[in-house]
Amino acid sequence: MVNWDNVKMDMPLPSITKQPSAMQLFMFSAVTWNRHLIHYSKDFAIHDGLQDVAVHRALLGSFLGQLLTSWLGDDGMIKRLEWSVRGSAFPGDKVACKGKVTAKEVRNENKEVDCEVWIEKEGKIIVPGTATVTVFQ
Amino acid sequence: MTELPEEARSMIGVEKMNTYRVTKKDIRRYAQAIGDLNPLYSDEAYAAKTRYEKIIAPPLFCHSFAFDDVPAEELREDGLPVELDVPLPVSRAIGGGSVFEVGKPISPGDEIKVTKKIVDIYSKTGKSGLLYFIVIDTLYENQENEMVAREKATYIQR
Repeated sequence: MVNWDNVKMDMPLPSITKQPSAMQLFMFSAVTWNRHLIHYSKDFAIHDGLQDVAVHRALLGSFLGQLLTSWLGDDGMIKRLEWSVRGSAFPGDKVACKGKVTAKEVRNENKEVDCEVWIEKEGKIIVPGTATVTVFQ
Repeated sequence: MTELPEEARSMIGVEKMNTYRVTKKDIRRYAQAIGDLNPLYSDEAYAAKTRYEKIIAPPLFCHSFAFDDVPAEELREDGLPVELDVPLPVSRAIGGGSVFEVGKPISPGDEIKVTKKIVDIYSKTGKSGLLYFIVIDTLYENQENEMVAREKATYIQR
């Protein structure tokens, strides 16, 4: 259970691992109605200079979203999430989503926690980000 | 900074609007696509016992309405979303980033109004040459005019 008292500065968030498949990329293209070939046609992706179909910017964001929701459970919610894609991820890549607490403050009567969040591939950060979450209790 | 083609500049600030009714199916499929099997997103009986008292959507669910559902005939050959089909002297889309704010939780039956516009287009010379940045601001509101999400997404083309 995440509550205000047990959130400490610099505390690491429980990390999660994701291994997107070509099928997952297809499903994400479909639900977001994103028809850009770069996400489901390997031929096109290679022609475009990539090694394989690329994981979507928005799906990488959702992986960071899951890092936060799996930590918070029903005890809080995401208020803001910022991320930027600095490197590509491809089907089969194992990526680790990690984070740590950088601030804890009551703002407008809301208990807010700021976090640094990121996605690593082979030990290198490919998606750095920051987040603010609200803790209910 | 390189001069922006006039046709590209004229796209800045043009607002587009769309409305979608959220179904259980939309939420369930989105949750499966991101690989999140939390029963809060699909199981009514489970969700009824949570603080939300009903199924809600994952926090970044509004991404499922981010791209306009125009017919394929209106897309570029590579299927690039129309939002990003800006007449620039570049053709490849690479990476980008986002600032995503989450507001009121979304549940099945909600009607989501999507208001979207390009707020900036600018260029920069990076290590790999000239890069163009397209910044799109999208506001998502429910039937009570409450913000459910807002995203300022930056797409990079080269």
